[in-house]
Amino acid sequence: MAAPEVFNLAQVPITSHSFNADRTRVAVSLTSNDVQIFDRHGNDWKPTEVLSEHDKQITSIDWAPNSNRIVTSAQDRNAYVWQQTPDPQTGHLIWKPTLVLLRINRAATYVKWSPNEDKFAVASGARAIAICSFDPEGDWWVSRLLKKPIRSTVLSVDWHPNNVLLAAGSADMKARVFSAYIKDVDKRPAPSVWGEKLPFNTICGEYASPSGGWVHSVGFSPSGDVLAFASHDSTINIVYPGGPAIHTIRMTTLPLVTLAWTSEESIVAAGHDCQPFVFSGNAQSGWQLVGSLDDPNANKASGGSRSGFGGAPSPVGRLQSSAFNTFRNADSRGISSSPGSPISGPGGSGESELFTIHQNTITNIRAYESVGAGQVTKVSTSGVDGKLVVWDVSNVTPVSAGGLAGKMGNLSLR
Amino acid sequence: MDAFRKIDIDQYDEDVLPDSELFPTDPRDPSTLLTEAKQKAAAIRNNLSKGDVAGALDIVLSDPPYGPGVDEAKNLTLQTLVTILNTTKSTDIPPILKSLSQDSQDTLMKYLYKGMALPGWGDVSGSVLLGWHEKLTEVAGTGCIVRAMTDRRLV
Repeated sequence: MAAPEVFNLAQVPITSHSFNADRTRVAVSLTSNDVQIFDRHGNDWKPTEVLSEHDKQITSIDWAPNSNRIVTSAQDRNAYVWQQTPDPQTGHLIWKPTLVLLRINRAATYVKWSPNEDKFAVASGARAIAICSFDPEGDWWVSRLLKKPIRSTVLSVDWHPNNVLLAAGSADMKARVFSAYIKDVDKRPAPSVWGEKLPFNTICGEYASPSGGWVHSVGFSPSGDVLAFASHDSTINIVYPGGPAIHTIRMTTLPLVTLAWTSEESIVAAGHDCQPFVFSGNAQSGWQLVGSLDDPNANKASGGSRSGFGGAPSPVGRLQSSAFNTFRNADSRGISSSPGSPISGPGGSGESELFTIHQNTITNIRAYESVGAGQVTKVSTSGVDGKLVVWDVSNVTPVSAGGLAGKMGNLSLR
Repeated sequence: MDAFRKIDIDQYDEDVLPDSELFPTDPRDPSTLLTEAKQKAAAIRNNLSKGDVAGALDIVLSDPPYGPGVDEAKNLTLQTLVTILNTTKSTDIPPILKSLSQDSQDTLMKYLYKGMALPGWGDVSGSVLLGWHEKLTEVAGTGCIVRAMTDRRLV
């Protein structure tokens, strides 16, 4: 039940973050063309190396834990694989980039190593996903494109544990499961709930978001038998293909943009509401929201100014009460946030401070620490406020069922 | 406006993504929908005369017409809905909203936005629509507004 570890890495949005295997280093992109590597010193992160090769903003980073290679994708339509090699002159280890032949004509949006780390998938705005594998003769990474039936930008991908199936969420409001079988790399996969014969580009499943939102994030459960996706209509959907059954949870809050499975029966997801929510359930009993990892009463940030709000965390109430706070301060204490007055930057403090740890949208959530196969004990999040936070997933604060309704009742009494 | 500004550039794009590929259209026939809307309106008048607002809302919000080409049925449904909203006492609104299913709440939000978007309607029933909007947001949250905005199956 440890409190979340909070690191302020930057004053600008963190586009993506990925830790190495023992979590002593983290690769992040701070809304720029470069990857920054930070090393951990006690409770602090120190910038050590910069990987520069992309000439447009980086969109996604993935650090392979076993082969210790980093793959990056950027808006310049390229991806690079970075590997530590000794410098011929000095003998120091440096990160050397290898070009990937993507053959896409729009930005690369998301990248992810396969579980065996012999392939990776690059999502793109060119209505395609490039499945890349290494070609030793040319000393570069070659790609095959998954195209049909994608109708718009692909926003995220996730690999099935069998190294063959790939889930993709895209802006055409669908989540799909494809086969990304590459003959020279993969052995024939065993039949699963997703199908038996799986040549390249087989579509094993296609699921629309219930109210027509872009699919921001997809994820296979640890066993690979269940698929979850979060979309911009403020829903999270859990798909059991064998059932076949889809469990939809409609949130009362703003949309979720990123999710991670923490066990076969639980998911952590976060997004525009600035806090990680925990969902749990299974095929029989259905799925529900159980709470948030962020306990507003434990965040001492805004001190006494919160005392009037009953303290019960509400999924909707926080943004609202922060706005309410601003007006109340203006009224009772003459503090105004009119144009021209010093306003707080990302992650800064001020009367517009939220009661959550993250002060802006969480864009990235990743498994940080696990015990055994698929039992994640800690997750890490990064977001637009430049913070990197490590959360203990057992530390769940229940979300009050009354939600905003109860909150507004409090307000009208005042 | 110059003629070239009216050129449909999409017809020269091989990869064009028409609306029909993005979301399903209403499978029901326009005339069937209109008849249904009329029947619903009659049933609702009956409910309202008995003072059963929740029942009336249930009827109007179940299987609403959506998509292109069914404007007549859509308008009739909206009018019926606004009649219900207008006749409800403001203290009755929260319990009624809480009794609605999530589907119905989302649909109601769509109609509220549609009502507010129609020219001239703001003067007639603007305060009623805003009142319902406030109460609905308290019950169903901002997520409900997000769904009303993203859903392309327009009511």
